[in-house]
Amino acid sequence: MNIFRYELKAYRRSIFIWACSMTLLAVLYIFLFKALGPDIESFKAFLNNMPEVVKKSFNILVDSISTLEGFYSFVFSFVVLCGAIQAMNVGTGIVSKEVREKTADFLMTKPVSRSTVMTSKLLAAITALVITNIIYLGLTIAAAIVVVNTFNLKIFFLISLTMFFVQLMFLALGIMISVIASKIKSVISVSLSTVFGFYIIGSLGSFLGEENVRYFSPFRYFDPVYIIQHGAYETSFAVIGLVLIIAALAASYLLYQKKDIHAV
Amino acid sequence: MNVIEINKLTKYYGQARGIIDVSFNVGEGEIFGFIGPNGAGKSTTIRTLLALIYPTSGSATIFGKDCIRYAPEIARDVGYLPSEVFYYERMKVIDLLQYAASFYKKDCSKRIFELAEIMDLDLKKRIDDLSFGNKKKVGIVQGLLHDPRLIILDEPTSGLDPLMQQKFFDLLLEENQKGATILLSSHVLSEVQRLCSRVAIIKDGQIIKLEKISDLTENNYKKFKIEMKEDIRREYFEMAGINNLALEGSKVSFLFKGNINLILKKLAYVEIENIWIEEPSLEEVFIHYYEKEA
Repeated sequence: MNIFRYELKAYRRSIFIWACSMTLLAVLYIFLFKALGPDIESFKAFLNNMPEVVKKSFNILVDSISTLEGFYSFVFSFVVLCGAIQAMNVGTGIVSKEVREKTADFLMTKPVSRSTVMTSKLLAAITALVITNIIYLGLTIAAAIVVVNTFNLKIFFLISLTMFFVQLMFLALGIMISVIASKIKSVISVSLSTVFGFYIIGSLGSFLGEENVRYFSPFRYFDPVYIIQHGAYETSFAVIGLVLIIAALAASYLLYQKKDIHAV
Repeated sequence: MNVIEINKLTKYYGQARGIIDVSFNVGEGEIFGFIGPNGAGKSTTIRTLLALIYPTSGSATIFGKDCIRYAPEIARDVGYLPSEVFYYERMKVIDLLQYAASFYKKDCSKRIFELAEIMDLDLKKRIDDLSFGNKKKVGIVQGLLHDPRLIILDEPTSGLDPLMQQKFFDLLLEENQKGATILLSSHVLSEVQRLCSRVAIIKDGQIIKLEKISDLTENNYKKFKIEMKEDIRREYFEMAGINNLALEGSKVSFLFKGNINLILKKLAYVEIENIWIEEPSLEEVFIHYYEKEA
């Protein structure tokens, strides 16, 4: 419990900064949608002329662009990108932070088992992400209701919530990387390259075949088109996502139990 | 009863040697010195005892329990001071100490203030504002605040000024009086001589000698360096107690062990230009042990 409290306290500032910047981005687009107003149809015509690759890569849903959900999906892909970086930072930092700042000796000579340390840190990280999402969801939905009152709240909520699931995947991935790597000098370079790597893989769909690519990039597990049409997530991808998270975490626990904590 | 029992502990870092077949015991209430040059395997041994790293083979017990399997349980009664201390930089000293104390199921706040008073430590400063020596003091308080039954110190005195070193040693002796067992690693012989009752000497990952400090002091080596007025024959120094004899023209150097009067009388018969009599460095004592082993 004390580790959990300490860790969460250490996240305070970063939660606030990430959540606020992501909210700002989304809210800005909600205002933009409002400002476009009746001009949205001509905007739609303009987008229709864009090459298919661009539309796919940037998550531009021309058919539903005149609704807030469709319009929002476009900016939301960038919000998720930010969210993924945040989650990856947190995940990679969990173990590597102690190694880099050389505080692992302090923690590991206390009467706590390694799995307790890992569990406390994991729970603190998940809590940090939950708080981020609550702030983001709360403010963004509030803004949507106030600015644009006609939209499908359920769809909007379902789309927004996918960020949390994508974040969990990157969190788990980050933890696994930091347990495997002996020492990570810069968390941000690891997380940025990983996240952008997956993002690029995800946007290569139009070249490599949509279905092939989707399995390899967490960014494509939750397709806004499907969500808008069905009002639900695709079960197969939700299950795969869950399995990946559990597998990565299980591997991290096992490896961490056996990891040598080297002297500085 | 033995507080620490180490049995053929071996650790390889991949291909690189850590320690090989290290075995020794530390009895309850003992102050045990662990001495050797840098890179000999002192920290490797200590870090294995603390379950920070895992042995390649062999085993060790603390309080009769396997040091890896029961690490969290054992840690309740162990205080550890690493050679270099690093703490969460943005914390205040008092917050860090209270965080450390929160891991033990007892109220340590009184002891924190006592120790900080003794070590003259400012509790209100931030960790990253502290000098190396002051960080070390935080480490000392942090290692002792839960009244551990076993205190493990890895090169504890580096960075402490002589006055603080003295206070720290007094503190350790006091803890020892109260019943704590102490394992102290160092590469400074005099430090170990002051505190410990027994020592293990480690070199290149292997224990080369286990000795009582009293024996070590009996083996009181002096290092002689002499410049003669004229060249001298090697045979002149053929006598018991002289080791590592090196002759270079009129310059002579050797280690001497035994009755100091004998060697002084012998030197009185030759014309001397200059003379130095020094405590041999640990390395030199080691070289001697090493030759005896071979």
